[in-house]
Amino acid sequence: MSDFYAANLVLIQSTFIGILLALSVQVPMRAGVFSFAGAGSYGIGAYVSAILVLKTGMPSLLAILISGIVAMVVGLLLGLLVAHLGGLYLAMATVSFDLIVSVLAINGGDLTGGVTGLFGVLSDVTIFHLIGLALLGIVGVALTERGRVGRRVDAVRDDPELAQSVGISVRRYRLAAFVVSGLLGSVAGSLNSLVRSTISPSDIGFSLIVLALTMIIVGGAQSWKGAVLGAVIFTWLPPLLAGFGQLQHVVYGVIVATAAIFVPGGLYGIYSEARYRRTRAKRKPPQGEAPAHEQALAISVPNGDAGRSA
Amino acid sequence: MSAAEATATRPVLEIRDLAVHFGGVKAVDRLSMRLDEGRIYGIIGPNGSGKSTLLGAVTRLTPLTSGEILFDGEPFHTVHASQIAAKRIARTFQTVRLLPDVSVRDNIQLGADAARGDVDERRGWWARNFGTHTSPAVASAIARTRLGGFEDYRPAEMSYGTQRRVEIARALALDPRLLLLDEPTAGMNQRERGEISTLLKELRDEGLTQLLVEHDVQMMVDTCDYVFAMNLGTVIAQGRPEDVVRDPQVQEAYLGKKFRHA
Ligand SMILES: Nc1ncnc2c1ncn2[C@@H]1O[C@H](COP(=O)(O)OP(=O)(O)OP(=O)(O)O)[C@@H](O)[C@H]1O
Ligand SMILES: [Mg+2]
Repeated sequence: MSDFYAANLVLIQSTFIGILLALSVQVPMRAGVFSFAGAGSYGIGAYVSAILVLKTGMPSLLAILISGIVAMVVGLLLGLLVAHLGGLYLAMATVSFDLIVSVLAINGGDLTGGVTGLFGVLSDVTIFHLIGLALLGIVGVALTERGRVGRRVDAVRDDPELAQSVGISVRRYRLAAFVVSGLLGSVAGSLNSLVRSTISPSDIGFSLIVLALTMIIVGGAQSWKGAVLGAVIFTWLPPLLAGFGQLQHVVYGVIVATAAIFVPGGLYGIYSEARYRRTRAKRKPPQGEAPAHEQALAISVPNGDAGRSA
Repeated sequence: MSAAEATATRPVLEIRDLAVHFGGVKAVDRLSMRLDEGRIYGIIGPNGSGKSTLLGAVTRLTPLTSGEILFDGEPFHTVHASQIAAKRIARTFQTVRLLPDVSVRDNIQLGADAARGDVDERRGWWARNFGTHTSPAVASAIARTRLGGFEDYRPAEMSYGTQRRVEIARALALDPRLLLLDEPTAGMNQRERGEISTLLKELRDEGLTQLLVEHDVQMMVDTCDYVFAMNLGTVIAQGRPEDVVRDPQVQEAYLGKKFRHA
């Protein structure tokens, strides 16, 4: 076990970072906000933490906290800026945001270390910090899928007009999605810099957006479970595919394309659909409806009230 | 409040000279209405006469071109669509709008989530937002709309008529003072229509003010206390339902032969 741990330490660390990154895209997607700003927030977290630790020697957790706050504020501003956009336009605007963060990193001079980035970010982040923060992220996101908040997020995604008519401020929920995504992405980026002790623009570019999106498409966007599944798969799959040599990119591409085309809900979608079918099959007459309806009337109107109005 | 005002029935909703235009289309134009407390008001009118647009304007989903809407005597046009539920105005939609991936119970709970003064208000912030309880208002809405037994079903498993009852239940769970219903019985059979009519009258007797859009003239006569007939975005006749449907202008305009034979 400890042999496995030692041999795969980098992948194990990446798994927890990947989970937070995937959640940062899953949270807005679930609210119907097609934002990939999580990748940009990852860049903000990665650089702000690295700079804070390098220049001030600040404790890691404090640096993570401060960069998280910075990314939440940026997320809020971005959310306000693109509030009127939807669908593809919103997606493009947030991709642009991610690329702007990259450009800033490349052109940041001494502060960001330009193309070569920053090195020697020494920190005391351990695997326990990674596990703890990833768990915190999972629990927080899982909560937003429960009870009243969970229902309201569903309504904001599925039918914003209906949501408003039952008192939900769609605008506020959408903004919250940007802020939460900012925090999650930032913590993922911070942890990456602090664990690897280095950060460069190549870590936060377009490939990061693709990675995050891949995790969500294959894992499923409706639940944190899909994000976790996707993060685990796409952290561990590439090294496994190394055996395919030249072909590995093709195999990778085929997996992603297959999932996108044939499994729109991702792996979690398959699971939840199967579970729903099972409970539906157990119910008495599902599609027939007429007998089910008669039954319902018999239950609620024992004294033949239905007959009177017929 | 002056003595004269105190003796008059209080209008819950007052619409003054309302216009809603979509570019050149005058969906609603120079329309005025007054709804007093505890009565069922009906709107009849041919397709495209602006009935749904009017409900959209009242629920603030559709911007007004001009005119005024007063709720409880207060101007309503600054109120945001998401705040009308807090004013206890509930509505159903012409096309059924339910969340597809959640149960009937959760769909109805969505209405109760918005209710004020529910026992849920007394729960802690945490339990109210993240708890998986079902409000008592949901159970009572399910009983009133006779959805018992369907709680765990999803919308797609049920007939159109049953889905409509879920919409009504969701609106009732909000504990409304004003209920706006856009063709609530479309797709229902005769018996179901009778049940809905009975339910609406019960609610009226409990003091709920209702604005009901329906094409079924017989049901309107049976259900409503007062009817507005609309055509081309404006009210062309109003009064007791029997009188309005017999109004020659109304008959000629759009009820046509269909009603005279009925
Ligand atoms: N969003 C919109 N944009 C442009 N035109 C619209 C819009 N909504 C409604 N209209 C037009 O406004 C007019 C009134 O439509 P509305 O839906 O209010 O009629 P209705 O009385 O509810 O009809 P029905 O009985 O068919 O439901 C129609 O001519 C319709 O085409
Ligand atoms: Mg209509």
